[in-house]
Amino acid sequence: MAKGLELLEKLCQAFGPTSCEYEVADIIEAELEGKYDEHITDFIGDNIYRIKGKTNKKLMLSAHMDEVGFMVSSIDENGYIYFQTVGGFDVKVLCGRKLFVGDYGKEKISGLIASKAIHQQSWEERGKATPIDKMYIDIGVTSKEDAEKYVSVGDYAVFDSDFVHFGDGMIKGKAIDDRLGCAVLCDIINYIHENKITPDFDLYFCFTVREEVGRSGAVITTNRIQPDMAVVLESTAVGDIAGTPEQKRVAKTGEGPTVSVMDYGTAYLPEMVEFAMGLGKKYDIPCQLKKYVSGGNDAGHIHKAVGGVKTIALSCPTRYIHSASCVINEKDYDSMFELAKHIALCKVDETPLK
Amino acid sequence: MINDLKTIMKIQGISSREGKIAAKLKEMIEPYTDEVSIDPLGSVIAVKRGKGKDKKKIMLCAHMDEIGFIVTFIQDNGLVRVSPVGGINYVAAAYSTVKFEGGATGIIVPEGRVEPKDIAPDKFYIDLGVSKKSEAERKVKIGEGCAVVSDCVKLYGKRYVGRPFDDRVGCYVMIEAAKRLKETKDDIYFVFSVQEEVGCRGSHAASFTVRPDIGIAFDVTPSGDVVNASTNQTVKLGGGAAIKVKDSSVMCDQKLVSSLMELAKENKIPYQTEVLTYGGTDTCSMQTVAGGSRAGCISIPVRFCHSQSEMIDMGDVEACIDLAVAACTAIL
Repeated sequence: MAKGLELLEKLCQAFGPTSCEYEVADIIEAELEGKYDEHITDFIGDNIYRIKGKTNKKLMLSAHMDEVGFMVSSIDENGYIYFQTVGGFDVKVLCGRKLFVGDYGKEKISGLIASKAIHQQSWEERGKATPIDKMYIDIGVTSKEDAEKYVSVGDYAVFDSDFVHFGDGMIKGKAIDDRLGCAVLCDIINYIHENKITPDFDLYFCFTVREEVGRSGAVITTNRIQPDMAVVLESTAVGDIAGTPEQKRVAKTGEGPTVSVMDYGTAYLPEMVEFAMGLGKKYDIPCQLKKYVSGGNDAGHIHKAVGGVKTIALSCPTRYIHSASCVINEKDYDSMFELAKHIALCKVDETPLK
Repeated sequence: MINDLKTIMKIQGISSREGKIAAKLKEMIEPYTDEVSIDPLGSVIAVKRGKGKDKKKIMLCAHMDEIGFIVTFIQDNGLVRVSPVGGINYVAAAYSTVKFEGGATGIIVPEGRVEPKDIAPDKFYIDLGVSKKSEAERKVKIGEGCAVVSDCVKLYGKRYVGRPFDDRVGCYVMIEAAKRLKETKDDIYFVFSVQEEVGCRGSHAASFTVRPDIGIAFDVTPSGDVVNASTNQTVKLGGGAAIKVKDSSVMCDQKLVSSLMELAKENKIPYQTEVLTYGGTDTCSMQTVAGGSRAGCISIPVRFCHSQSEMIDMGDVEACIDLAVAACTAIL
């Protein structure tokens, strides 16, 4: 197993919902110790690792540390915990899921998302998705007092989901969006360190917070760095799943990272799309155009920040994104690493900045 | 005079693909300004240096991009699926001729048996007249942009119909104003922004670069003199320059709004008040980016906005040019 995938497993298993990304940041800090020239953190939790380049042209490589999760909003007399979602969910994927409940620096306890059994549902309720406010987290206690020994209002919860290799080179886990991007960034830093490379670009590896809600981490980070060019590493929904008509298939797993043409946050500049696809072709790295306009990511805020930043988004095709069981192809991890690495190590004159 | 407007309407530039129109606008504004540059996203930023003391920065902004489509998928039978770029009125777009960046021509049509009430972006496709995927791929590629063909026809008097008046007519107003402007006290920035139609993104970046003290956008506004218009749409075609008070993206600077109205009265420029209950313009980004600025908007009334039959009145355009010139020379 590639070293990157071991790190990916560790990062995916970390507890890091939006605005509570510290555990992820700790893992990254330990992984990167002694491999960078400068480490910048900010009040909101973003972590920036700089590797100085031969030129003063700044390239921002960015991935977000947060994952979708839940927040405890109230605890009732029976010790049942009511919650709100942090980030976008399909409510249908929630019922019966195991969770970890807690906060940074606090012991995580197990719980599960529960709702009325089919036996107790009225005819009107049957066959419909239970709304969020009718679901609760059961942590196996019977009173409010007992529940409050373990959980406080304002605590977070994330899916409890194993990281599993299965099938034909596939991986299943939670939080692949966007720990995969984080792992790729770490891998590039490792590569630069091991091979003692001085890149042409002044590189800023940005592990941002709060992408799933509000994207404030990316805004603050971009304003701080004021980059000349940016690459966002992300996960994207795929369409190679049952019931999706061919014209809505965003991308296919196993065919490399997607290069976005347009999403709801960004209309990518054609020269940037051609640059990324061209590098893929030059180095024989599988990559594909993202073929359906949907979603959005940190690029939406990065590209229009400061005086405007030429931005690329590379995304790993991910089935069942924002669920407890995201599925990716190992080959796509490698392709994404290769393509992002070649962009990072590109000469400034070989990019659209020339 | 209308010929300059026709020239810039003919050059296609959907959001994020404004290279050609940017080059033309740069060429047109260059003789009347001191410095011109193109920023990382493609916006043209030109400045005419003022000669006064304690100079302010006045930013005039019109967007050069137009709405269109982007190719997302080519089917086995050669039909092309597209996604909208900006706010497409699909009722208007149906059965129009579209021109691609690479030069190919096609028609955009709804799928069969789609009732008007069921019209949605993914029910539309482009027919290139080919019958195989391979033939289609020779003409267009995924990620390529296209737009409904441009047009400009004179109707009656000063009225013209075609597309895209949104917002090439705003660009035209700025260029004409630059031509007529003599020496100014303040630095006047002429910004032709990109990507307005997808969320005022170009002006967001450009406002950070310029950091204006005062920002004035030049954009079109829907004219309320059409059948069954909302009663609170009071702007009329031929009623003069529309001075914006608000739209759903911005509350304009009150002092700037009254200054513009005073200037219009003093100079006998026909004007009307625009209070728009929807829509957004580059005004909002000029107002809020970096340290913020006092921002407003001089709107050109247009009927049937975002269709291929947008209608303007050149009398209104003249009024907007006169007001722009007056604003640049006045103390705001």
